[in-house]
Amino acid sequence: MLSLQDITVRGRGQPRLDRVSLELTAGERVALIGASGAGKSTLLAVANGQLTPDHGCVRWQGEVQARRGSRRRRRQQSRIGMLWQELRLIEELSVQQNINAAQLAHWGWPRALLNLLLPLDTAVCSALMERLDLDPALLTQPVSSLSGGQRQRVALARLLRQDPLLLLADEPLASLDPRLAQELLGLLLEQAEAPRSLLMSLHRPDLLPHFQRVVGLRAGRVLFDLPPSEVVGEQLKALYAGSDSRP
Amino acid sequence: MKLAPPLWVLAPALVMAPVLLLLPGISHGGGWELIGQFAWAAVTPSLDPVVLQSVLQGLGITVGIALLGWATSLLLGLALGVLSSRTVWHTLAGSSWPAELLRRLLAVPRAIHELLWGLLLLALLGLQPAVAIAAIAIPYGALVARMISDLLDALPTRQLEALRGAGAGPIGALVTAIGPPLMPQVISYGGYRLECALRSATLLGVFGLGGLGAELRLTLQSLNFQELWSGLWILLAAMLALEALLARLRSRWAMPGRLGLSQRSVGRRGREMLLATGLLLPLLVWISAGLEVNPATLLHPQPLPPAPPLDLATLAAFPWPWLIVNTLVLTLTAAGLAVGGAPLLLLVAQPWWWARALVRLLWAFGRLWPPPLTALLLLFVLQPGVLTGALALAFHNLGILGRLLLEAAEAGTDSTGCTPAQQALEASGCGERLALLYGRFSGLASPYLAYGAYRTDVILRESVVVGLVGATGLGSALLEALSSFAWDQVGALVLAYSLLTLLGEDLSDRTRRRLLVNAASADALPA
Repeated sequence: MLSLQDITVRGRGQPRLDRVSLELTAGERVALIGASGAGKSTLLAVANGQLTPDHGCVRWQGEVQARRGSRRRRRQQSRIGMLWQELRLIEELSVQQNINAAQLAHWGWPRALLNLLLPLDTAVCSALMERLDLDPALLTQPVSSLSGGQRQRVALARLLRQDPLLLLADEPLASLDPRLAQELLGLLLEQAEAPRSLLMSLHRPDLLPHFQRVVGLRAGRVLFDLPPSEVVGEQLKALYAGSDSRP
Repeated sequence: MKLAPPLWVLAPALVMAPVLLLLPGISHGGGWELIGQFAWAAVTPSLDPVVLQSVLQGLGITVGIALLGWATSLLLGLALGVLSSRTVWHTLAGSSWPAELLRRLLAVPRAIHELLWGLLLLALLGLQPAVAIAAIAIPYGALVARMISDLLDALPTRQLEALRGAGAGPIGALVTAIGPPLMPQVISYGGYRLECALRSATLLGVFGLGGLGAELRLTLQSLNFQELWSGLWILLAAMLALEALLARLRSRWAMPGRLGLSQRSVGRRGREMLLATGLLLPLLVWISAGLEVNPATLLHPQPLPPAPPLDLATLAAFPWPWLIVNTLVLTLTAAGLAVGGAPLLLLVAQPWWWARALVRLLWAFGRLWPPPLTALLLLFVLQPGVLTGALALAFHNLGILGRLLLEAAEAGTDSTGCTPAQQALEASGCGERLALLYGRFSGLASPYLAYGAYRTDVILRESVVVGLVGATGLGSALLEALSSFAWDQVGALVLAYSLLTLLGEDLSDRTRRRLLVNAASADALPA
């Protein structure tokens, strides 16, 4: 589905990614681990098309990634959904407008403007809300009035409204309390049924058994790419050696 | 149906629809050739050393007037601001009614535009540099005074009470508790006032009060476009240099921005600020010597032609409702075009860097160009009237609002020039324009419109300056009365104008407060 070959992203001095290759097939759940600054976020930014690598080839469903800003690239990006750690919801808009914003890649101006005026596609949004255990009455509320857990689910609803084939998540559990983190992980894994795949960066070795593959990044390079059962203390130690942040 | 914040920003642009419909009706098509020549002259300005020298000399006078007017207004405003602060009176005298009284009185000089002050003083005192300086200093001083007293009264009084409770004298306590938090705000706001003062000084020049403005107008009226452009390019360079310098100082000294979107630490490098302020003084003295300013002449009015007897019949026969409606239509049209136009242009230009650069250049010219000059230029192809005046005012204010919007839009973005929400949208395949509309304008809507409300109030006051294109409400009636020395008419018109402006100011204040309360309550909720 997504294939990264020999990806290099230069940074100041050291490269942020150094000849990284990664293949993701449909229905796969992959965890991305590594110390802070190892290149996890950069890898995800390359995967979602936000960052164009200095070197290497990104293929999406067998097609080479299109030029930045082109219509084809946007179409490719629209099938790759991302859950951000800080959610990146639009505070001033209602829940429904936020969820519908995931459709902006496909909507023309008339619909995009209408979405700011009237509640659009209420049935679809309500169904998503119910699927995520949220009260559909919240649809008209501004996002800024929701609780932390509710916001998390709204972000997830927006992600699902995009109907992506690949779900990316950048340390979504990092700032959550254990209960919320467990809930969110459950929801994410539930949504990432085949043919959807999931690539998620995280810091918690105890959660690795939920995934089929674990990719360890260190200083911009892939250190290992193994099933979780083969990731043992030794590998983790090598991954975090010489850095301050430990799992 | 409810308008979401991104639409609030664009809604004022709806006024474009009637404007575009009416435009063919007022165009007379005679002067397109002249407009073509004017545009061509932009790339072929005159490089004649004589022309350049006179332009530079004019610029020197304009900048000198701006600096002196600005400095005087700051001193005046600081003194009057402290005197009209409720907190200060309360601490010193135990009662705040003198502050209230002074506040009301200061509304009058503030309500009258600097051009009117200039023309009134010109009629009374004759042509001299001190007139232009006083014309800027009086309304600006009253504006600064209001800003300072508002700031003073909005500061938390806890420290003040603590100091007083600990036995500090009233003046010492005031200076200690209020001085430090006030300084950065005053210097930041003062910087913006200097930019305004440069624009005002150019405008006053257009009406013959000295400096570059007069040459701009003369070269335009004699169709000497190449010489006009020499002046315009040099003025543009001077204005951009001043803006860049002030922006640099603001970020170096960590001053608060105008829309208050970025909450940075405020007010660093106190010594440097003091040093800069200290260096200004000899500069100002040198300039006033160069311009041969003599404040004493302000006390010696020139003999006026005998005033005609009070003619109440003429006054009563004035089409008052018509004048007022015209003034309001002019103001609201210009405000709608400027407030709505800026975000619209930003949206259109968003995907292309060259378009963004072009829009910036257009805005810079808008700021620089005194509205009466734009109006004169528009008269080549349009008939005189409200719409022509509105377009000229809109172009000027578009430049000011656009720059502010851009400044605010750039705050809170990362190296790619996007906010996180905007980036998230772009990553999901959304186009750059829609990402800007949804991801950026949502957060900007309240503070931007609040500033738009303030700007509308400024435009109302400013509508007098396009009076010279005729039939544009109170402004043109006033300019006519002034040039015929009909003092009774001038008095009545100024009174009507001030009342209208005061009402407008009150309305815009209420709107602004409501908008900002909305924004603040949204911020206060858990993120």
